[in-house]
Amino acid sequence: MKYGQWFKQRLKNDGFPPDWVDSAISYSQLKKCINKLTAELASVGLDAATLSKLLKHVEEYNTSTAAQDADDGSRSFEYILADNHANDASSKKPRTPFHPKLLFHVNESTGEILGANLDDKTRKNLQMLAVETGLTELRVFEEPDTDSIASSDSASCTSNKKAGYRTVEVPLTSDSEFFSTLATELSGLEQLQDREEKRMHNEIEGLGRQVARMTDPDRKSNRRLLAVWREIFQVYIESDIFFGHTESDHAAHNADKATERFQKFCNTIATQGLVDKIKKPEGLRALNTFMHINREILQGLRFGEINHTAMLKILKKFDKQTALGVKSSFPQRLEYPEFSEHLAKATCAELNNQILSSIPQLEDYSCPMCMELKWRPVRLRCGHTFCIRCLIVMQTDKQHNCPLCREKTVVDACSDNLDLELADFLKKWFPDEVKAKQKYNELMAGVDQYGEVYKERCVVM
Amino acid sequence: MALPKRIIKETERLMAEPVPGISAVPHEDNLRYFDVHIHGPSQSPYEGGVFKLELFLPDDYPMTPPKIRFLTKIYHPNIDRLGRICLDVLKSNWSPALQIRTILLSIQALLGAPNPDDPLANDVAQRWKEDQNAAIETARQWTQEHAKP
Ligand SMILES: [Zn+2]
Ligand SMILES: [Zn+2]
Repeated sequence: MKYGQWFKQRLKNDGFPPDWVDSAISYSQLKKCINKLTAELASVGLDAATLSKLLKHVEEYNTSTAAQDADDGSRSFEYILADNHANDASSKKPRTPFHPKLLFHVNESTGEILGANLDDKTRKNLQMLAVETGLTELRVFEEPDTDSIASSDSASCTSNKKAGYRTVEVPLTSDSEFFSTLATELSGLEQLQDREEKRMHNEIEGLGRQVARMTDPDRKSNRRLLAVWREIFQVYIESDIFFGHTESDHAAHNADKATERFQKFCNTIATQGLVDKIKKPEGLRALNTFMHINREILQGLRFGEINHTAMLKILKKFDKQTALGVKSSFPQRLEYPEFSEHLAKATCAELNNQILSSIPQLEDYSCPMCMELKWRPVRLRCGHTFCIRCLIVMQTDKQHNCPLCREKTVVDACSDNLDLELADFLKKWFPDEVKAKQKYNELMAGVDQYGEVYKERCVVM
Repeated sequence: MALPKRIIKETERLMAEPVPGISAVPHEDNLRYFDVHIHGPSQSPYEGGVFKLELFLPDDYPMTPPKIRFLTKIYHPNIDRLGRICLDVLKSNWSPALQIRTILLSIQALLGAPNPDDPLANDVAQRWKEDQNAAIETARQWTQEHAKP
C-alpha cells in the first residue's frame, strides 16, 4: 500500500479525535503540489535528471559560500528556501516565511549560462533551453540594491552578484504553496500539542487530588486501599512504559513498544488481582481515568509518529521528483515539533509529580544494606540512613565507615541517631512493612543475645 | 537458613534487567552461588571472548564482599593463574552498599583497562610493563584459545 493511503487510513481508523485529524499533515494535498511543481519545471525543460546535474546542493552551498567566488564549479543552479539561509544557531526555530527560489546566472551580454565545467551535452541542453525560451519566458531581474530591502537582513548572501552576470529566477509557484502549507501545518501541530498538554495537565491534577484523598493514611479506612494503590503504581513504574531506565534500554519508547508495555502492565495488575481489590466505585473510576490518560499518551505518540513520517516521506518525494534537494535543509529551517516524545515526557513528569509521588514507594525508603524498609531508621552524622538492624551488624563487625560515603560515622552512632521524624512517616505510610520488620528486628536481637537456638525455637513455636 | 531479602532482590533485578555483556544465574540448589559470563569489552584484547566466572555470596554478605574468580583461563595482569582477581572493591575497598551488579561491572571494566602497576599475576604484569604489545597479543591469543563461546 502506498504511504499516502496508509496514512489516510490510520487517521481515519485509529480513533484520533477529530481536531487531531484536522491538524494532520495533508499528505495528498502536498503530493498534488509536487505534481504541479514537476509540471512547471518540465515546461521550462528542467526534469529531475537534468536538474540534479545542474543544481548546487545546499550542503555544498553552505560549505563553499566562502570559497565560491574563486570556484563556482560546474553547478550554476541553486535552490534556496528563504532569503537568509545563514542559519542563526541562537534562534532555534527560524520562523521566517519560505521564499523558495530556483536561481541561475547568465552572462549579461551573451545570455550564456554561467559555469565553466559543463560537459558538452549539458551545455548544449542549456543553450537549447536558452534559445527555446529566448530568455523571454524567464524573468530576468536586476539584483536589488542591498539598501532597498534594508528591512530584512536577508540580502547579504542571497546570491553572489557577479560582474557581467545576471541572476535569473525560474518562475515557479507550486513550491511556495508546498512549503507554506507544510509550515502552517507544522505550527498547527505545535499548537495542538500545547493545547493537549494543558488539557492533560488538568486531567492529571484532578486525578492526583482524587488519589491523594483515597489513600490519605490519616483516614484509617484507607489503610488497605493504600497498599493496593501502592502496588499498582509500583508495577506501573517497573513496567517502564514510555521510557526505559536500564543499562540496555534507556531511551524513549516508540508507540509500538510503549503500547506493548502498557498492555503488560494492564495484564499484570489484573492477574495479581489488584483491580478486584479496589472495590469502591470511586476507586475504580480513578483507575479508569489513570488508564485513560495512559491511552491518550499512547495515542499522542502514535499520532506524532505517523505525522513525522508523513513529513519525511513527502520531503523525500519532493526531492525525488524535482531533484531540488530540500530534505536535508528543510528541517534546519523548520523543525518537526517533536509532538510525540514531548507530550509523553511532559505527561509522564506530570503523572509522577501529581500522582505517583503522592504515595511514597517502598524503594525510596529501603535500607541500602538489607533493601528492606528502613525500620527503625538511624541517621548517621554524614546524613545517610540505615535500618537499626544493619547498623548493629556493622558495629558488631567493627565496620566503622558509612557504606555509602565511607566516612567514619558508623562507629559513634547511638540511640541519639534514631530519626524520629522519619520513623513517624514510615509508620504512617508503611504500616504493614513496619510491623514485619519490627518482628524481624526483635527476632534478630534475640539471636544476638541467645544465639541461633533462639531463632529456631521461635520458628518452631 | 532463609535467603535474605537483599539477595532475592539483587537476583531478581539481575534477571529482569541484565547488564549488557554480563549474565549471572544462580544455581537452583544454592541460590548464593552464581554462574557468571562476561563478554570481553570491544577494543580490548578480550574482545570476542566469553569468560566464565563463579561468584559466591558468603553468609555475612553484604558485610563481606562476594567471592569471585575466573574459571576461564585469561591472560591479564590483575588476574592470576587460579582466576583470582586483584580489584580493590573486592578487598579493602568493599562496601556493603556495593552489589553483585556493580562488582561485575567493575570486573568488566578491568578487562577493558588492565592495570599492571597493581598486579596479582606477577609475571604477566612484568611482561605487560616490558613489552605491552607482545602482552596484548598473548592476551588476544589466549582469548581465541580459551574463551571462544
Ligand atoms: Zn538494613
Ligand atoms: Zn554516609
